[in-house]
Amino acid sequence: MDSLSHLISGFGVALQPFNILLAAGGVGVGTFVGMLPGIGPINAIAILIPVTFASGMPAESALILLVGIYYGSQYGNSISTILLNVPGTASAVVTAIDGHAMTREGRGGEALAISAVASFVGGTLSILGLVLFAPLLASWAIRFGPAEYFALMVFAFSALSSFAGASISRALASTAFGLWLATVGLDPNSAIPRYTFGQIHLLDGMDFVVVTIGLFAVSEVFQLLEESDAGQAAASMTGRVAISLRDLAANGWTMIRGSVIGFLVGVLPGAGGTIASFLAYSAEERVAGSTGRFGRGDPRGVAGPESANNAAANGALIPLLTLGVPGSGTTAVLLGALLGLGVTPGPLLLEQEPDLFWGLAASMYVGNAFLLLMNLPLVGVFVRALTIPRWLLIPGVSALAFVAVYAVNTSAFDLVLMTLFGVVGYLMRKFDFPLAPVVLGLVLGPLMEKNLRRAIALSGGDWSVLFDSPIAITLWGLALASLMAPVLLRRWTNDLPGVDAPDLGES
Amino acid sequence: MLVLTGVATALEAWTFNVAFMTDPVGPKALPLLVAGALVVAGARLMARPRSTVQLPDTGPARRMMLAAAAFISYGLVLPWLGFFLSTTIVVGVLGVLFGGPRVGSAVAGAGLSAVLWLLFVMVLSLPLPIGALWIR
Repeated sequence: MDSLSHLISGFGVALQPFNILLAAGGVGVGTFVGMLPGIGPINAIAILIPVTFASGMPAESALILLVGIYYGSQYGNSISTILLNVPGTASAVVTAIDGHAMTREGRGGEALAISAVASFVGGTLSILGLVLFAPLLASWAIRFGPAEYFALMVFAFSALSSFAGASISRALASTAFGLWLATVGLDPNSAIPRYTFGQIHLLDGMDFVVVTIGLFAVSEVFQLLEESDAGQAAASMTGRVAISLRDLAANGWTMIRGSVIGFLVGVLPGAGGTIASFLAYSAEERVAGSTGRFGRGDPRGVAGPESANNAAANGALIPLLTLGVPGSGTTAVLLGALLGLGVTPGPLLLEQEPDLFWGLAASMYVGNAFLLLMNLPLVGVFVRALTIPRWLLIPGVSALAFVAVYAVNTSAFDLVLMTLFGVVGYLMRKFDFPLAPVVLGLVLGPLMEKNLRRAIALSGGDWSVLFDSPIAITLWGLALASLMAPVLLRRWTNDLPGVDAPDLGES
Repeated sequence: MLVLTGVATALEAWTFNVAFMTDPVGPKALPLLVAGALVVAGARLMARPRSTVQLPDTGPARRMMLAAAAFISYGLVLPWLGFFLSTTIVVGVLGVLFGGPRVGSAVAGAGLSAVLWLLFVMVLSLPLPIGALWIR
C-alpha cells in the first residue's frame, strides 16, 4: 500500500514534539470556539492566520494548528448543544433534538460521552477516507485545464448557494458581492486599478482576513448586543461523562453508517456537516423503525449526526487539498491561509508537498486522540468555560480580532475597513443574505478570473471552450443539478420532528 | 417592509451601475459576469419582496451604534494613543455595553491589553503601535 507508507512517513512529521503541541492546542482552541457562542471556527481560524504567518512556523505546522481548530470545533459544538440546547453551528442542530432530550432526562453525561466517541469514530474513519481518496482524486484532477477549473468553481458556488438555506437569489447576490470584492485592487494582468475609489489602501485589494473577521466576528458582536439577555444559563452537569462498553457497542453500526454518510456528503462542495447530520439522523430513524425513541432522547440520535458531521468536516478537506476548491466558508478561509503560506493546493500538492499532506493527515489522528481525551475526562473544564460572562468574553475576543486584523498589514486603516464589513455583515444577516458565499467568492475570485482568462486566451477568444470537454460539461451539469438538490432534499428530510430545514451555510 | 427590500435592491442597483463602468477588455470579463449575477439576483428579489425585517429596539440599537463608534474610533486612534491605551478603552467600553460592571470592564481591558502586548510583541515579535503621542 503506497498510501500507507506515505502515512507512516507523515507520522514522522506529526509526531515532532512541536507539531504534537500544535495539534493539541488547535483542537483545544477548536473545542472552545465550537462550544462558545459568538466565536465559531471561521473566526478563530481567521484570527490565528496572521499569528501563524508572523511566527514564521513552517507551512505544515501552521496547517496542523488551523485544521485542528477546524475539526476540533465539531466536537465542542456538541457540548453546548447537548447541555444548553444552543447549537453553535447549523451542523449541530439535529444533535440538539435527542442530545438535549437526554440531558433533560438526566442522561447528559451519557450523551456527551456518546457524542465524543461518535465524533472520534467519524473523525478517524474519515481520515482513512481522506488518505485513500485524495490521491485518487488528485490523479484524476491532474487532467483539468483552465476551462474545467472554471466550471468546477462555478459548481462550488452553486452548491454552496443552494445549500446555504436562504433563497438562491440571495445566495447569488452574496456570491457576486464576494467576487466583486475580489476584483478590488490592481488587476493582476493589466495593473489597472479597479474599484479602489481613489484609496491608496485599496490598491493591494481586500485582505480576506480583514473581510472575514469583519463579516463574521464584528457582525456577531453587533448581533449579540441586540439580544437583550446579557448572561446565559449556567450549564448544569448531570451524571458522569461515561458510558458502558455495551451501550457503546449498541451504537457501533450507527456511528459507522454516520461516518460513511458524512464522509460522502462532505466531499461534495457546499453540502458539508449540516446536510450530513440531517441525512444521518433520518437514516438512523429509518433503520431503527419502531424500536427508536427518536426525539425523546435516543442515543442513536446523537451518535449518528455527530459521527456524520465530523466525517463531513474531514471529507471537505479533500476538494480543498486536491482540487484547491473549497466548498464552505471555513474551508475557503483555510484556502486563503494555504495560499498565504505559499502552498498552492491542487492535484500536484501530494507530489510536491508530501510532508504537508501526509503530515497533516497523520496529525489529524493525533488530534482526534487528544479530542477524545479532552472530551471524556476533561469535559468538566470546558463546561465551566460556558459560565464565562459575556461582558468578559466578547470584548476579549474583539481585542484578539483587532490585533489579528492589525497584524495583517500593520495598518490601522484595515481596522476601519473591518468595522465597515461588520456593519455590512450585520445588515446581511438581518436581510437573510448568507455570509459564507462572500468569503468563498473573495478567496476564489482571483483564481476564477485567472482560469477564465487563461481558458479564453488559449482558445483565441472563443467562449465556447468553457463547454468543450466532457469533464467541463459534467461539472456544468452538476452545478445545475446542485441548484435543484435542496428541493429534493427538503422533501426527504421534512419528516424530521420539529426541525426546520437547515439554515446558515457556516458549518 | 417593501421600502426596506427596496433599499436593499437599490443598494445593489448602485453596485451594478458601478460594475458596468469598468476598464478595457481584459479586466472587464469577471466584473461583468458579477454585474450580470447581481442584476439577476436583484431583479428576482425585486419580483418577490420578502416580508418584515425586525429592527432592533432603541436600547440595543443605541448600544450597537456605540459599539460601532468604538470600533471605528479604535482604528483611528490606535496610531496615536498606542495599543495599550486604545485597547484598554475599547475593551472597557465593550464590556460595559455588554452589561459588565464598570470597574471590572476597565480592569479586564487593562489586563487583556497587557497580556496581548506580551504575547504578540514579546513572544511573536509582531509590531504593535506604541503610539506616536508618547514617542515625541
